[in-house]
Amino acid sequence: MKRIILSALAACAVSAAGAQIRLGDGQLTGSFETNSIYYVDDSGLGDAGTAPDDKFGSNNYLKVDYNYGRFSAGLQADAYLPALQGYEIGQQPGAHKFYLSSKYIQWQDNNFSVLVGDIFDQFGNGLIFRSFEDRQLGFNNSLEGIRGSYRFGNYVQLKALYGRPRLYTDYADSWVRGGDLSVSLSDIFGSRELQLSLEGSYVNRYEALDKDEMLDFESRGLTSSNLNMYSGRMNLAWKGLSLRGEYVAKSKDLPTAVTASAVRGEAVLGELGFSHKAFSISGTFRMLDNMGTMLSLYGTGTGNTLNYLPALTRQYTYMLANLNPYQVNVEGEIGGQVDVYYTIRNKQNRSRYWNLHANYSTYYTLRGEQSMTGNRELLWQDINVDVERQWNKRLKTTLLYSFQEWNPHHGYRHRTYVSNIFVADVTYKFDRTKSLRVEAQYLLSDEYEGDWVAGLVEFSVAPHWSVFFSDMYNIDKTKTNYYSGGFSYTKNRTRIQLSYGRNRAGYVCSGGVCRYSPAYTGLNLALTSSF
Amino acid sequence: MAVCTLSAQSLPDVKVETADGREISVRSLTGKKPLIISFWAITCKPCIQELNAINDSLDEWRELADFDVVAVSVDDVRQKSSAKAKAASMGWDFICLFDQNQTLKRAMNVSLTPQSFVVDADGNVVFSHSGYTPGSEQQLLDKVIEISKRK
Repeated sequence: MKRIILSALAACAVSAAGAQIRLGDGQLTGSFETNSIYYVDDSGLGDAGTAPDDKFGSNNYLKVDYNYGRFSAGLQADAYLPALQGYEIGQQPGAHKFYLSSKYIQWQDNNFSVLVGDIFDQFGNGLIFRSFEDRQLGFNNSLEGIRGSYRFGNYVQLKALYGRPRLYTDYADSWVRGGDLSVSLSDIFGSRELQLSLEGSYVNRYEALDKDEMLDFESRGLTSSNLNMYSGRMNLAWKGLSLRGEYVAKSKDLPTAVTASAVRGEAVLGELGFSHKAFSISGTFRMLDNMGTMLSLYGTGTGNTLNYLPALTRQYTYMLANLNPYQVNVEGEIGGQVDVYYTIRNKQNRSRYWNLHANYSTYYTLRGEQSMTGNRELLWQDINVDVERQWNKRLKTTLLYSFQEWNPHHGYRHRTYVSNIFVADVTYKFDRTKSLRVEAQYLLSDEYEGDWVAGLVEFSVAPHWSVFFSDMYNIDKTKTNYYSGGFSYTKNRTRIQLSYGRNRAGYVCSGGVCRYSPAYTGLNLALTSSF
Repeated sequence: MAVCTLSAQSLPDVKVETADGREISVRSLTGKKPLIISFWAITCKPCIQELNAINDSLDEWRELADFDVVAVSVDDVRQKSSAKAKAASMGWDFICLFDQNQTLKRAMNVSLTPQSFVVDADGNVVFSHSGYTPGSEQQLLDKVIEISKRK
């Protein structure tokens, strides 16, 4: 408990400097974030309810940037004291970690830029390379190295990078190098209405295959230390219409740490969008064939990922709709999703409108041999509709229905679970500052854990205070109650939230990537501040 | 010797994508009138609530001050096309930008969404708040009016 209080005090000290700092002629900006939990024993969770010996976990991030004209530099320090339960970084040797997770020096003018340090970047849609940070996942696969880019007007843009990837608190022993080229044909030919660009990327990962005698890659069909990946892309936009496509291929590789024999990989991504006035539609198709790509052949875990293969499905903010999120089958999947939006707005009164949204996503295994049945199996299907109605300046209601069907065996067996989820969400503003939001949810299912109910009540006093209580209860098989209550206080750039509750084991997903989080009960302090 | 003072943060020189797929520098939006810059994501309910609240009041607000609203989606490739579709259908009278790899988000030290900034006509950040509770959008308008009166 003392440590929760100390975390809060340390954070307040940082937030006290809640203004931008000019250092000489340059400028210093930064941010601080802490997420700390004091775990308690909870017999209501059975064996899973035993708190860790230390009873405490704390993930902390301090980022500072300095800008002076075209020059900028920065660093980020991460402290896991120790890492919260469920974060893979906590399973690395030594539970307590404090280290410099990112640093950089950059020079940038109108056409040219060079960065030395930890690189966050992406080629195309990230199918062959994406380095990024996601603190909800404890994920950071930035590349420590050098990146240069040059732009020839709006016509051509060239980018090249080289470095070694971060693997949790250390670096992988591999080297990654790549280049990206983008050519805007519409700018070259002076077209204003039509946007057309052609792009291509190349990425190479080099890693010696003889670093561990226990791992015989040759017997698994991997004979080259070099992995090569290629991407070709086309982007087209004309008035309300947009069309984007990407094809990628990779040389022989082990897509996951447990893959028995090396295989080639490829992927296709296509997106079509159209909008006219208040109507818009967007469709995405994706085929993945053995596209999992590790930073290091010797590493494991979610963080050991060089490219970005998110689940292209709807991501919900409602508890029960997010209970069993889809996880990508990197071995092979094919499918897509469609979103349709339509808004009917009162012309005399902007604050009265209907907002209609429908979404459909479905994914199948790519090849028959992925299943013991020898057939392509359904991995995921979600048909959902939501209707949002802003009645007037005070009252807004949202109704959502989702039909979800998911395969608990990732397509290996012919078996799916079906859930029907109903949500009602009402927000009422009493006056200019006070408001109440109420959510009621029901999950109807004959399978897996059966039926669930959930609710949330949130009372806010703008612009500073918010108090909430939520509850999620399995009324069918486990009869377990997951409750949470707390408050948040926001002042300008600083937000603090203190809550206490019981959390269900499951996948925490962010940006379509998921990590498993165990069940726990505890007191949670979350604070963010920037200056 | 370096002198440490407190002053306004300038908008970083970062390139983001427009709704029609062009790349523009965020700084190119400054120099004309004040901006409200709001970071949002399609999975962030309070973000969309805040943008809707601003959009609902926009006609009244613009009678009090001349400004633009910039909605920056931080959705990555997973949700970017859906975010573009939603932004197009909502009838937001905003400049919609898409920060796919969260370069602008990192450069402006945005740890959580929603986070909104008020930027004066010279490109200096004069106010920011994170999170959203219904009614807190009034702070943004108050700040825009305040900097408009300074001119």
